[in-house]
Amino acid sequence: MLKILDFFDYAKSESLWMAHFCTGCCSLEMAAAMGPRYDWERYGYMPTPTPRQADVLMITGLVSKKILPALLRTYAQMPEPKYVVALGACSFDGGPYNDSLSVIKNPTEILPADVFIAGCPPKPEAIIEGLEQVKQKIKNGEPSAASQGGLWKEMEF
Amino acid sequence: MGATNTMEAVKSVLEPFDTEYVEDYKKIWIKAKLKTSDDLLRVAEAIKAEGLRSISTVSPTDFPDTNTMEMNYFFEDLETKRNLWLKCDIPREVAQCEIDSLTPLFPSAEWHEREAFSMFGVTFRNHPDLRPIIVSEDFVGKTPYRRDFDWDAHEKDVVQHVKTIVDAFKREQETNEVNLDTDSSETVLNWGPTHPASGPIRLRIHTDGEEIIHIDPDIGYVWRALEHLVTKKDFVGAIVAVERLCFMDNINSMVGYCMAVEEIAGTEITEFAKWMRVLLGETARISSHFMGMGGFFNNLGLHTMGMWNMDMREFFLDFLESYSGARIATAAIEPGGVRYGLDMTMLDELQKAFDKFDAGIDDVEMIFAKNPTMRVRAKEVGIVSAEDVHTFGLSGIVARASGVKTDIRLDEPYAAYDQVEMDYMTTKDGTAADRFTILFRELKQSVEILKQAKKRIEEGVASGEFNPTKDHMVKVPKKLPAGEAISRVEWARGEVLMHLVTEEKAKSPYRLKMRAPSFNHTMILNRLLEGKTLSDLPLVFGSLYVCQGDLDR
Repeated sequence: MLKILDFFDYAKSESLWMAHFCTGCCSLEMAAAMGPRYDWERYGYMPTPTPRQADVLMITGLVSKKILPALLRTYAQMPEPKYVVALGACSFDGGPYNDSLSVIKNPTEILPADVFIAGCPPKPEAIIEGLEQVKQKIKNGEPSAASQGGLWKEMEF
Repeated sequence: MGATNTMEAVKSVLEPFDTEYVEDYKKIWIKAKLKTSDDLLRVAEAIKAEGLRSISTVSPTDFPDTNTMEMNYFFEDLETKRNLWLKCDIPREVAQCEIDSLTPLFPSAEWHEREAFSMFGVTFRNHPDLRPIIVSEDFVGKTPYRRDFDWDAHEKDVVQHVKTIVDAFKREQETNEVNLDTDSSETVLNWGPTHPASGPIRLRIHTDGEEIIHIDPDIGYVWRALEHLVTKKDFVGAIVAVERLCFMDNINSMVGYCMAVEEIAGTEITEFAKWMRVLLGETARISSHFMGMGGFFNNLGLHTMGMWNMDMREFFLDFLESYSGARIATAAIEPGGVRYGLDMTMLDELQKAFDKFDAGIDDVEMIFAKNPTMRVRAKEVGIVSAEDVHTFGLSGIVARASGVKTDIRLDEPYAAYDQVEMDYMTTKDGTAADRFTILFRELKQSVEILKQAKKRIEEGVASGEFNPTKDHMVKVPKKLPAGEAISRVEWARGEVLMHLVTEEKAKSPYRLKMRAPSFNHTMILNRLLEGKTLSDLPLVFGSLYVCQGDLDR
C-alpha cells in the first residue's frame, strides 16, 4: 500500500501545473522561465489558465490589497494537494514596496508559502530551482504549509 | 491657425486673462499661472481653439503650509508640438477643493481627473463620471496622496481593509443581478482580475450574448502608490520606485525622472552618459517590444511568436546583465548620468544580440508580421482615428499607427537623440494590424539606433573623446534647491511625463507625478469595443500594448 502512495507522490511531483496568476512584476521572469532558453517544461511544469487543474499557486511578487481576495479565491478553488511558491522580495516583506500604502507586506503570513525564491525579480534559474524544491517536498510526502495554518483560513474572500 | 502656429500665438491666447506669470519654458513649452481658477474653463476653451487639443495629465500638488492645492494642467498639441503648462491655485479644505472639470472639452482628461479626485480629494464640477479610480475600496473617500494623510494609522488593520474590499465586490456583484432587466439577455461578465491574456485588470463587460454593450475597466490591482513611495526615499533611492513603473521598459522611465532631477539641480551630464542612455534605453525598448509583439499573438492564440521573441530578447537582456548585473531591475540610470562605467567587452554581448536578431528577424517578419490570417483578422477591429489620438491624448505606437507624427525622441530630443538618425514611423488606418506593424518596424528601428549608439561610443572611446570608466557620472548634490521641472520621454508604450517638485534643501522629492501612456490607452477600450463581439476583446486589448504596471502605478 505504502509503495503505491509513494508512486502517486512521485507522479504528482513530476508534472506540476501552476495556476496562471500574475500579481506583480515577477511574472515577467516567470515568462522568461517558460521561454526557449530556460524552458521549464523540461521539468514538467506548465501554466494552466484554470486553478481547478493546478497543483501550484505562484505569488508572483507584490500582492496589493485589491488583488488579495482574488488570490485567496484562486487558491481555494485549487484541488488538494496544493502548494504555494512565493516569488521575489515583495512576497516576503513587501520588498521595494515595503513603504508603500497599498501593498500587503506579509502575504505569506496570510497564505503561507512552501518555497521562497529570492530576488527582485528572481532569475529564471532560481525559479526553476525553487520549483525543484517543491518537487522534493511532494516526493517526501510533506503536507503543504498553507494547509497547516495562515490567516487565510479566518479571512473572508 | 496656419501662420499663427507659433509659441507667440499660445502666449497671446493667455493675454486677456489675469495671470501671475507667462514665461517660456524649455523650447516648446510655455508655463503660466492663472490668478483665479474661475478663468480655467474659458482659458481652456481658448487654448483648444488655438489647436492644443490634448491634456497630457492633471497633477495636483498639495501645499499644507499655504493651505493651497496647486493644479497643474499639461496641454499638448501633438501636431505643431506646442505645449502649455498651466497652473492655478484652489483652496485645500476638502469641502472647498473644487474646480471646473475640463473633461467635457478635453476627453483625454477624464481618467486623470478621476485620479486627482481619488488621490487628492479634488472635486471636479461637471465631470461626467466622477467615481474613484485605481484606489482600493478602503481608500475611497480618503485622500491618500495628501501630505498630511496618516497612513500609519490607516495601515493598522489590513484584515479589516481586505474585508471592506471583499464586501464592496460582493455588493457590486449582487447589484449587477438586480439592476439587469430580467427580460433581457444582458449579463455582466468579469474579465479578470487574473485573465491570462490581460494580467491584473478587471473589465466589467456588459454583454448581450456575444455582443459587447459596454466596458467599464476596474483598475488598481497592482497599485503600489509609487508617486507616494518616492517621497519617502532620497533622490537616488527614488529610482527604485521609478523603474518599477513597468519592468518591461524600465530604463526610459528612469531617464525621465533623472532628467527632471538634473534640471532642478542644474547639472549637465556628459556626452558619453547621453549616449549610454540611448544605448540602454533602446535595449530596454527592444526587450519591451519583443514582449508586446509576443503578447499580441498570444492573445490571438498563437504562442510560437512569443517563444521566438523571448529567445531573441534573452540576448538583449544579457547585455543589460553584463552591464548592471541584473537582467531586468537594472537601476542603471542615476541622476548625473549612468550608474556604472562601461567595460568595452560588454559591447561584445550587444554584438551577439545583433547577430541573433539579424539571423532571426526575417523569419519573424515572413511568418508573423506578414501573416495573412492575422492581417485579415486584425485589419477591421480596434480602429483609432487620428482625431481620436488628439481627443484622447494617445501616444506611442497607438498614435503613430493612426498617422499622427508624434515621438518625443524627435519632438523634444533628450539624451543624445538629437544626433540620432531616425524618423517617425507611421501607418494610416489605425487598426490593430497597423499597431502591430508599427511595433515591428520600431523594433527594427530601435536596433538601428542601437547600432548607431554603439558605433558612436566605440569611436568616441577609440579617439580618446570618451573615458568609459570615468565619464559616466557627474556629481549631483544630495540636497536640491526648491524648484520644479517636467520631463518627457518616449517610452516603449508612449509618452511618459514626469512632474517633479522639490523643496529648499530637500533630500527627497516633494511630489512626483508620473503620467503613463497605458492610462489613456485603457480609457478608450470601451470606445473601440462597443458593439463588437467578445472574441475581438483579447485582440484589441493586446494591440493597445497596455501594461498594468504603468496603468496603476
